Amino acid sequence: MQMTQITNSKELLSTALQSRIIPNQEFLLQGSILDSAVDHLIHRLRGLCDTVDASPEQFHDLEVCLSLRQPTQTAPLMLRVRRALDRDSPFQLRYIGQPELDRSRPTLVRSSIDVGCTSTILDFLTELGCRLDFEYVSRGYIFRKGRMKITVSKIKAVPGKQQEIGSETVSQSYLVELSVLAPNGQDSIGDEMRIFAEQLKPLVQLEKIDYKRLGGLP
Amino acid sequence: MQREEKQMEMTLDAILSRLNDLKMSIGGMIQKLETEYEIINWPTFLDNFAIISSHLTGLSKILAKEVCPPLRNRTVLPLMLSQDRDESLINLTQGRVPVFSHDIVPDYLRTKPDPITEQKLIQGEQKAANLTAEVAMKQVTQYNKVVSHVLDMVCKAREEWEIESSTRAGIQQTSSMADTHALVSAVGMGKGLKANVSLNVATGSANMMVPPLRASAPMTSVSPGGVGQINKAPSGIKTNIKPAMQVHQFTR
Repeated sequence: MQMTQITNSKELLSTALQSRIIPNQEFLLQGSILDSAVDHLIHRLRGLCDTVDASPEQFHDLEVCLSLRQPTQTAPLMLRVRRALDRDSPFQLRYIGQPELDRSRPTLVRSSIDVGCTSTILDFLTELGCRLDFEYVSRGYIFRKGRMKITVSKIKAVPGKQQEIGSETVSQSYLVELSVLAPNGQDSIGDEMRIFAEQLKPLVQLEKIDYKRLGGLP
Repeated sequence: MQREEKQMEMTLDAILSRLNDLKMSIGGMIQKLETEYEIINWPTFLDNFAIISSHLTGLSKILAKEVCPPLRNRTVLPLMLSQDRDESLINLTQGRVPVFSHDIVPDYLRTKPDPITEQKLIQGEQKAANLTAEVAMKQVTQYNKVVSHVLDMVCKAREEWEIESSTRAGIQQTSSMADTHALVSAVGMGKGLKANVSLNVATGSANMMVPPLRASAPMTSVSPGGVGQINKAPSGIKTNIKPAMQVHQFTR
């Protein structure tokens, strides 16, 4: 009985994938804005986005990146766990695939799967053999426009014992990300994002950036 | 050369058919006005107008198209004028132009300007002829004065605009590529964030449980507003106390 159920759920998943209702692709553009100009950007985003009348929504998240080294593969499997620090909401487990930097596409595209979890997810992943890779705190504002999500956030290192004083912030800028999660084969959204990114120029230059090409690890 | 001629022919055909459409719709309109003037209502009348105007738009579209060879570069030369009735011409123009004479050629071939334009031109010339040299000079200087004044205004506006745009270029530095790269690689690969982690791993690499401990500790250590506080006064005591305090919160 249980076996049939499992096969059923597997079938359900595959049919869901085939009928393209699972948002498993992330379209992404990234940029940054200096601390001094962030108010200006927030102002503009408030005008451009759907939440015109309300004050911008804030968030404060801790993101932990874990890696699982598999003997068969050279590249470790990376998983991210995200937790809101300013409210009581479920943890979020996130898998992000390799970015595809197709020249013909206006945005970076990568596979991405988000799952809501309970707080025991970290213990569970640890039991699986995942190791902490790095972690950071992101705090900032989130905007929506249609399916597009725009985040403006400050990235800070988690203050640990060995952390040097005053070095928590990664840079003097806010990270700006424009992203959409969509099912397979909805490439038209990329153009929509490109148009929106144009509207934020010259305040922010949103581009597709492959972090793997930005030089190796320190 | 042949291609050009072909294109010309095609354009002429298109224009001709458009003109025929236009003629037919105007004719229809006239007929309606003559025969149905008692029962015609505004909407139908306006519809007819709309049809005519759409034909006109189509015509100007053809003329404005780039593939259309510039027609104004072509000349039409009347080779022969005569005072006699020309039956074939009458047929061709549906009885409108019986004679191809010096009287009508300037109008039909546009060798002279529109009557209204001509009138205005004559008026202007008369006015100029009536002026005395002195008054003319006066007007010229006045005109020059006005023009130079306008020029001054435009120049000033341009200067201001240039200054503004140059200062705006100065302010424009609202984002930095280096910062973008630093942030993206930090979020993507943990560049600049890994320092403390690697230290931890190095010190406790023998212990299998070290990474998870590090992983869960900060989960509890950072509370809403906690980071901000630490930023302001990062004293060792505070950071040390935090985890202990927050453990309760986490297990609740």
